[in-house]
Amino acid sequence: MSDTTGAASPGRIVVDGRPIPYQAGDSVAVAVMRCGEHPKHGGTICLGGDCPNCSAIVDGVPYVRTCQTAATPGLVVRRHPAAGNPSFPAVAQPDITRSPVADHVDVRRETADIVVIGAGPSGAAAADAARAEGHEVMVLDARDSNEVVAIYGGPTVIVRRPNGMLHVHAHQVVVATGAAEIHPVCPGNNLRGIITARAAEQLHDAGVDLGNAVAIGTPPQGVPCTAVAGRIVRFEGTDTISAVVTMGDDGLEVTTPCITVIVGLGFAPRDMLSRMSGGLPVSVVGQAAEKFPLPPCPTAGTVCPCSRVEVEDLEGVWARGFHELELVKRASLCGTGTCQGGVCGPHLRSFVADRSGEVPEMFTARPASRQITLAEASADTYTDVFRRSPLHDEHLALGGQLDRFGGWWRPWNYGDHIAEYWAVREAVSLGDVSTLGKLVVSGPDAVELLERLYPTTVADIRPGRSRYVLLLNERGHLIDDGMICRETETRFVLTFTSGGAANAEMWVRDWAETWGLRVHVLDRTMSLAAINVTGPLASQLLQRVGLVDPPKFLQHRHDIVAGVPCHVMRLSFTGEASFELHHAVDRSVELWRALMEAGQDLGIKPHGLQALFGLRLEKGHVIVGMDSELDSTPRRLDMDWAVKMDKPDFLGKSALVRTAELPDHRRLFGFTMQGNAPTEGSPIWSDGNVVGHVASSFSSPLLGHAVMLGWLKHTPVPEQVQIDGRTASVAHPPFYDPEGRRARA
Amino acid sequence: MNEFVETLLEMQWHEPKSSYDVVIIGGGGHGLATAYYLATRHGITNVAVIEANYIGSGNSGRNTTIIRANYGIPESVRFYQHSLELYAGLEDETGCWIMHATKGLLWMAHTETGMRAERARALINTACGAETHVVGPQEIKQICPQIDLTGNGRYPVLGASYHVGAATARHDRVVWAYAQGAMQRGVTVLQHTKVTGLLRDGERVVGVQTDRGPISAGIVMSAVGGNVTKIAEHAEVRLPVRTHALQAFVTNAYGLDFPGIISDSELSCYVSQTPRGQMLIGAEFEPQPSYSMQSTFNSLASCAKKITNCLPFLRDLRVLRQWTGICDVSADFSPIMGFTGVDGFVISTGWGTWGFKGIPAGGEQMAELIATGKTPDLIAPFALDRFANDHSMADLGSAGTR
Repeated sequence: MSDTTGAASPGRIVVDGRPIPYQAGDSVAVAVMRCGEHPKHGGTICLGGDCPNCSAIVDGVPYVRTCQTAATPGLVVRRHPAAGNPSFPAVAQPDITRSPVADHVDVRRETADIVVIGAGPSGAAAADAARAEGHEVMVLDARDSNEVVAIYGGPTVIVRRPNGMLHVHAHQVVVATGAAEIHPVCPGNNLRGIITARAAEQLHDAGVDLGNAVAIGTPPQGVPCTAVAGRIVRFEGTDTISAVVTMGDDGLEVTTPCITVIVGLGFAPRDMLSRMSGGLPVSVVGQAAEKFPLPPCPTAGTVCPCSRVEVEDLEGVWARGFHELELVKRASLCGTGTCQGGVCGPHLRSFVADRSGEVPEMFTARPASRQITLAEASADTYTDVFRRSPLHDEHLALGGQLDRFGGWWRPWNYGDHIAEYWAVREAVSLGDVSTLGKLVVSGPDAVELLERLYPTTVADIRPGRSRYVLLLNERGHLIDDGMICRETETRFVLTFTSGGAANAEMWVRDWAETWGLRVHVLDRTMSLAAINVTGPLASQLLQRVGLVDPPKFLQHRHDIVAGVPCHVMRLSFTGEASFELHHAVDRSVELWRALMEAGQDLGIKPHGLQALFGLRLEKGHVIVGMDSELDSTPRRLDMDWAVKMDKPDFLGKSALVRTAELPDHRRLFGFTMQGNAPTEGSPIWSDGNVVGHVASSFSSPLLGHAVMLGWLKHTPVPEQVQIDGRTASVAHPPFYDPEGRRARA
Repeated sequence: MNEFVETLLEMQWHEPKSSYDVVIIGGGGHGLATAYYLATRHGITNVAVIEANYIGSGNSGRNTTIIRANYGIPESVRFYQHSLELYAGLEDETGCWIMHATKGLLWMAHTETGMRAERARALINTACGAETHVVGPQEIKQICPQIDLTGNGRYPVLGASYHVGAATARHDRVVWAYAQGAMQRGVTVLQHTKVTGLLRDGERVVGVQTDRGPISAGIVMSAVGGNVTKIAEHAEVRLPVRTHALQAFVTNAYGLDFPGIISDSELSCYVSQTPRGQMLIGAEFEPQPSYSMQSTFNSLASCAKKITNCLPFLRDLRVLRQWTGICDVSADFSPIMGFTGVDGFVISTGWGTWGFKGIPAGGEQMAELIATGKTPDLIAPFALDRFANDHSMADLGSAGTR
């Protein structure tokens, strides 16, 4: 069979800095050998894609099998170093503020009823038979530059091509990859000048002069050579072969001088793809499914050219008690290189069979059968999706430093978080809370659902009123928090944290279905934006833009603000009077700008998360996931006030009842300390022991000292602890406006 | 003979008996280390380790060989730091070359949230004995010049925690070091022997039933990985454990130029270079529970995508082999060690994706527990009853990136 992975027309490639001519039809390996060179530094050449002995650095990528690479004009080939590994590919990043430019790799995705891998006789027959049955068939052959990398679940066949990747989604796969030729294992098998019978045929067809060639075993067809009987004992020579020593049945060694030895030592199934696809609809036909006799047990020479394992290594491993194929492989590293046992597999099995008396199966095959680069593997893959609020560009225009938080891009600050803090405490400020989870739950069983979901009573929330709620799982651990706003007897708006929104929707829907309740759940997280107007002048600002009578604390209603229909919720996270304006996303920019404009003379500023985290910390408000842990019960958070244990039932109640009886040493406390805030996460020390850690900290501009929330995990609770080498006092939040007058003002 | 082979010690296989003082199910790192420490620290050598396949064939031979102690809670930092220190002395102790190399681990962050976590990690690690610093972009570039600080323009590197003592060791050789040391002292290792049930005398576990016959035991320990819930079921012990697949891959071998272990905590991927020069790359475990060891292209593609964000030179490296292990992940992402509430049956499980780094300390402490009948202080927080007592060891933040 001729190699069709070849050049279209003659040209030149550059090998180790030297231009080398090639002819039409040449692979890189053939072009190199045409010049009398070895693409590596020695070892048997098979030109079948089965071994590592022709791999080189091609256009900067090491470990490319040059027999599978067509020669193309200007291709730059460097040989691997004779000893040691190739070095890493160099990536130029002259300016560390800019990313290196990466080449693009195309991906095509196709479907086929049946994929046949291998276009040889058995593959062609399988393809014909499948077509005759009316199936859509795709034939992939490495010689047509379709290198099959692996068969994955689906089955999905991953194919490497010179111009990109092909992912084929098939119903069935037929592996017709044929057989690989056995390489000789004997002393001197690392020399140059050893080629397999098939390689000899290819080279001869390509017009490559094989010189004084000697054939051992089954001779190649149509290649002039001298056949020598017997089995190979060793190859002689330095670097290049000068003679081959054989032994016939008479037991006598015969030395035959030569520069090329053509070996026809038999075959082994090329079955890596079929061995890696257990459990998938994959069938194997032709030689790939055949059981060939194993070669004789090797006695000397290199067994595994990839990992440079000698027969004496196998013997050494066996002598040390590693008595099965997998252990021999792992201990000697035989079969763990580029060809993944393609060359050494039959010899390794023969070695183990000789000593154990049983012929072992080949070790497990895994991707990749043919190698791809990480760039080829990852082509057309996108992993980073972070949502943007409709106000994203407004934040950028105001100098906002955006960062990823809970799946969203959110403003961290607008350049000066302390100024933003003071705008909230003393004037009025806007915060983008579009990222909050927002669910509408309605229907005849809405109250029943919410009573079961939340540890708070829900039935007594009047329409137009709202309540802060915790969301617990069955273990009684906090998973989220938010507000319940009752609109009518049977309709509620629920809010959740930004990071918890996606899970909360599933949570609510799953339980509604589980309990078979008649409710309708509508997720409006993405369709509604929300702006938090907060600060002592918030009411005044809203009155300016048409909200004549802003709702009172914990009231909510639908109204028009600056011409935009809003669901206005009065609450407070910052500690100041706050109004969340929930509105359609397509009106958000308009509303934001109107508020900013109307508040200019009031000293309005937007605030980012950095200021918000400090503002809420002065109030002692917990942020789920920042202050709470995976197993935080309300008791541990000092939030038993948000749980009504006298309710008939709610998620987590039985766990809370049970764990209330258990000793518990974990509590979230407030702390105050002179000076600047310590790093969040700082250990809390008492008597030289770590007794907890700081969850959140803030240097309060108003109070002039550090305020913290932190975990103490040991009893008894000390009054004073050491943090950051300083003495801190245990204190009960809120640290600011403990009566909550400002939130209600 | 190459140095990998030359330096191997000999395995001394013993004929099986019908009864042992201790039977350990699972011939991976934890099972063999427990046997080793029973023999060396406590003189208990009438021990059998029963392995369904060959030793080290499970997760011990499938992990990414990283040894670190930079956890998020003091109990874990102390445990893994102890393990890290035992690892550092293991070659001297056993005479086996496990290819141990202290390399340092950079755990990079791209967001303020990520930096917050790394700052906290550095403080709590250092307070509990595992030296870890916060480093900025310039220091990162000095430690690892190959890093693109812009993160492909998408994930700029804001900083990292640098865990100084992190190391790697050749996984197989760790398994063999413990196996050889145990077998030298008379421990029996039975390969290709499947445990099909537990022998009971009333409530008490008194041995194991295997596909090669019953074996009685004074005490039975499960050191099984991947299928532990099935073994525990035989003792009617319910475990808060789910089994998930974890995939990794390795490239061809290159020059030994890559410094340390680089981990991306927010993208959950990491890379180190093996002593042979291969780049060993992994990600987090698959989200859905499964016992399947089938590798997926999606995992390879997404992991390759993530790791090349900050390490663009990896783009031109070729993938040699991709594989999958199955990990027992506990409800709080911390291991479970100790008594089970069933007499004669102790357990070491829940090792998730961090079992390799816990092998020496896990083995040493479980050996002490078996020998003395008392739970050592270091592993007391990891007892199974912590779930019933609502004292979980939640540490999700440290689990993502091995």
